[in-house]
Amino acid sequence: MTNNDKLKLAQNVALVAGTFCVIVALLLLLNYWQVSQNDPIESQVMEVLVERLNEEPNNDGLKTEIRNYDLLARKAYFNSQWQVKTGAFLLLFGAIVLAVALRYFYSLKSKIEAPDKVLENEIASRIVAQKGIVIVGGIVFILAVIASFATVNYLDQYDIQTTELADAAPAEDDGIEVIDVDQTQEETAQQPVADESETTEEEVEAEQPAVEEEVAAPQPEPEAQPETSTASSLSINQIKNNHNSFRGPLGQGVIYHENIPTEWDGASGTNILWEAPIPKHGYNSPVVWGDKVFIAGADDQSREVYCYNADTGELLWTGVANNIPGSPSTMPRVTEDTGLAAPTVTTDGKRVFAIFGTGDVIAFDMDGNRVWAKNLGVPDNHYGHSSSLITWDNKLFIQLDTNSGGRLLALNTATGDPVWDTKRDANISWASPVLAEVDGKYQIILTAVPIVAGYDVETGEELWAVDCMMGEVGPSVGYSEGIVHAANEYATMVAIDIKTQEILWEDNMYLPEASSPLAHDGLLIICTSYGVMVCYDAKTGEEYWEHDVGTTFYSSPMYADGKLFMMDNAGVMRVYEYGKEMNLISENELGETFGTSPAFAEGRIYIRGDENLYCIGN
Amino acid sequence: MKKIKYILYLLIFAFYLLPSHLSAQQQRFPKPEFESGYEQPSTVTPEPRALSLEYFDVLVLLAVLSLVTWLILKKRSRQGVLWVSIFTLIYFGFYRNGCICPIGAIQNVTLSFADPAYAISLTALLFFLFPLVFTLFFGRTFCAGACPLGAIQDLIIIKPISLPKWLNKTLGLIPYIYLSLAVLFAATGTDFIICRYDPFVGIFRMDAKFLMVVLGISFLLVGMFVARPYCRFFCPYSVLLSWMSRFSKRHLTITPSKCIQCKLCSNSCPFDAIDYPTDEKEVVKSGLGPKRFITYALLIPLWIAAGVFVGERSHTFLSKANNDVYLAELLISNPEIKNDPDNIDVQTFLASGKTMETLVEEAGGIRQKFYYGSMIAGGFIGLVIGVTLLNTVVFRKRQDYVPQKGNCLSCGRCMDYCPVEE
Repeated sequence: MTNNDKLKLAQNVALVAGTFCVIVALLLLLNYWQVSQNDPIESQVMEVLVERLNEEPNNDGLKTEIRNYDLLARKAYFNSQWQVKTGAFLLLFGAIVLAVALRYFYSLKSKIEAPDKVLENEIASRIVAQKGIVIVGGIVFILAVIASFATVNYLDQYDIQTTELADAAPAEDDGIEVIDVDQTQEETAQQPVADESETTEEEVEAEQPAVEEEVAAPQPEPEAQPETSTASSLSINQIKNNHNSFRGPLGQGVIYHENIPTEWDGASGTNILWEAPIPKHGYNSPVVWGDKVFIAGADDQSREVYCYNADTGELLWTGVANNIPGSPSTMPRVTEDTGLAAPTVTTDGKRVFAIFGTGDVIAFDMDGNRVWAKNLGVPDNHYGHSSSLITWDNKLFIQLDTNSGGRLLALNTATGDPVWDTKRDANISWASPVLAEVDGKYQIILTAVPIVAGYDVETGEELWAVDCMMGEVGPSVGYSEGIVHAANEYATMVAIDIKTQEILWEDNMYLPEASSPLAHDGLLIICTSYGVMVCYDAKTGEEYWEHDVGTTFYSSPMYADGKLFMMDNAGVMRVYEYGKEMNLISENELGETFGTSPAFAEGRIYIRGDENLYCIGN
Repeated sequence: MKKIKYILYLLIFAFYLLPSHLSAQQQRFPKPEFESGYEQPSTVTPEPRALSLEYFDVLVLLAVLSLVTWLILKKRSRQGVLWVSIFTLIYFGFYRNGCICPIGAIQNVTLSFADPAYAISLTALLFFLFPLVFTLFFGRTFCAGACPLGAIQDLIIIKPISLPKWLNKTLGLIPYIYLSLAVLFAATGTDFIICRYDPFVGIFRMDAKFLMVVLGISFLLVGMFVARPYCRFFCPYSVLLSWMSRFSKRHLTITPSKCIQCKLCSNSCPFDAIDYPTDEKEVVKSGLGPKRFITYALLIPLWIAAGVFVGERSHTFLSKANNDVYLAELLISNPEIKNDPDNIDVQTFLASGKTMETLVEEAGGIRQKFYYGSMIAGGFIGLVIGVTLLNTVVFRKRQDYVPQKGNCLSCGRCMDYCPVEE
């Protein structure tokens, strides 16, 4: 083969390879355009077919058509993907052949060239280079400066926005607070119970001795005396006159209402004022504000908040927690005995707040209009999130103790914006926050593994913590007269001095699994999951009495009207005299099983059963 | 010859090892099937590799570097370097998918200094250091035959044209700017831009995004006529290699003994990296003497100050490349975006449970890092401009045709042009 033949061969090979590369490249471009145009997921035909199916859900022919079209579209899509991949390899192969052929061609043609007679003038070149460097450097700097002027610093704007929000939120709540202090007749009409109960301090104080005389029962504890702080739009009087959270006012299990019925019967309907079906399941307890009762329910399809008329049991509205950004599309795995709606809702009289096992937090106004909603991320909880909400001082407190770590959040009740977010050295917990007044300031008390701790409601600062708790903590703390009582099954029961953090006493004879301790007027009530109710001296731990009823207690004991109310999981509520000696007043069968805690307001008891909400009253 | 045999045995042994370890690259768990049509994004880095194989890669790099250096300095064989380049392209390019490479390792090293929580792997560190150490002693033999990015460009050089010196010098600023930005983004934990915008890695992996394919092919097309454009005018690692190479004592020489001034090599370098003998009379006549040297030297602090100022001004703009800053600003400027279920970034943030305050606080922290980082980067660019200008008025006395130590890629082409025998 002569040199000319080799040159021709290399030239022809290069020509064929080049043409091949151009054709493959064009086909790839065409394919790229085709793929971008025919995404099976974005298919308009499919959208039309799906819309038609929504109108005709039982059209089997249409369903088959959709499936066939979907299969076709997907086949086409993946076929294109295969073509792209194969085309890329072919192009690479063609390019290699082209490069080799060209190299060979030029290597055959090349010969050592004669050196240039006139070399580039280096001096002139350097002078031009100086200009080039200055121009390029200048352009880079100028472009950077222009970009800096064209850039908006949104992070700085955020500071302004938050300031505005922070300023706006209290102003709104202050306004509402004025309304609460019985300035508006309209508001009074809307919330009769709330306003009726807005008595002055003197009135409350005047009422309490009467209670004492009538039932010879101890007074509500000193720390629950009327609140004098003006910082909160929610006054302690309002809280006492309603039942706005899990275990009532401040979550302490102490009720300030009177004339609570002590006898009823579900089977005969005695003292059952009304009974209303609950649309969706949930282990949360009712809360009451004025003439409205709130509960929540959830299943895999939706999460809902229900508002009932306290007088008639009529379902006034249903608030659906949907379309919340970040809410998971598939429900987190939860156990049946926890569910997605275990946390009890709370209300400040202006809004009702709910949290679900999905991490969705939502606020409705009292008429069921959504105020705000957000998702906090699915709580990493192997049974399901169950810590209830509580509100105070324009803040909604969320105990978010999960397998991923512990947090206590305070959200602005008006906007849902975070006020503070405190990380806790705690693990998962199923207990709920409890509010306590200490030296005129309110704390949130939480129990989890391994700490029982108190937090400043204003700042979220951890004020104290005692390392004493173990296991899977379900019961919330009891609080009375400066002593925090925390207990958990297979762990311990401790009495902690809230000011000194000294453990006053500790016992592990009877321990609750889910039922929270009730501490009030020197007594401590514990209810175990194996059916034993025990009364202790709150300060010393001395046992006064115990009552083995033999049925499971998940509900929490409540003090109301000088009596102790305790409901078991079989739906039997026992009423005791609240004292150092066991004195069973009555046993009342509801006829429906469950383990929620009752709500008390205006001479009535509201009990959530498995399927129905009951109102009991004289 | 025995040495070559040993090396060949070693390479054959290495190839035998490859198929048995290909499975180590496969995913341990299959990717989940999404019903929402979510597309798995292409990862910037390939699948993790067994540690032993990472060390094997280091060994291969070391072997290739040694072989190329030996071929250049001892054997003076351009043909040998070419074959090693092909091996490098196949092994480090197509088989190892272009990762890890010393060029990208700049970012790992930077991040390990900037982020105490980030621990650089020993293999990444060795990949970063070995080429620098070799270059310090023997010139840029890494570029000659051990870099897959260089190899793919080198193999498609068809008819290189010579660029004027001024253009070479001016375009030569780009690697410094690229290096500054790469270090800034790596130090702030923003991105590994060298890897993200590597024009050839998509070709190696055959899975590049369309625009990156276009970029890669464009570089190759240009590279047919402007030899190795990425290496000369973009590669950030070339900055470090260039610095090291200037100090190399045993750098490649065009002639094996005394230059006979035949000028045959004057057009041999496709990278315009041969310096000609100095014409002292022209230098004296030009006026580019001590006065201009002093002026340019005095201007260096001003260039640095200008760079620092520009860096300070542009830090807000640059920080927007950071994901956290971008997300925080997006949520602040467009709060309604929270309701867009298709915005995966926003929805992921909302599902994470992280508060807006935390996000903004973190974004503020990153911006603060950019504040200082941009000033340092700007100052560095200013220094480079000042020193490059100064270099244009510095003349070193040369009597022969010699490779520019800084820019010479040690490919060995010029050696073939030299008629002088050893």
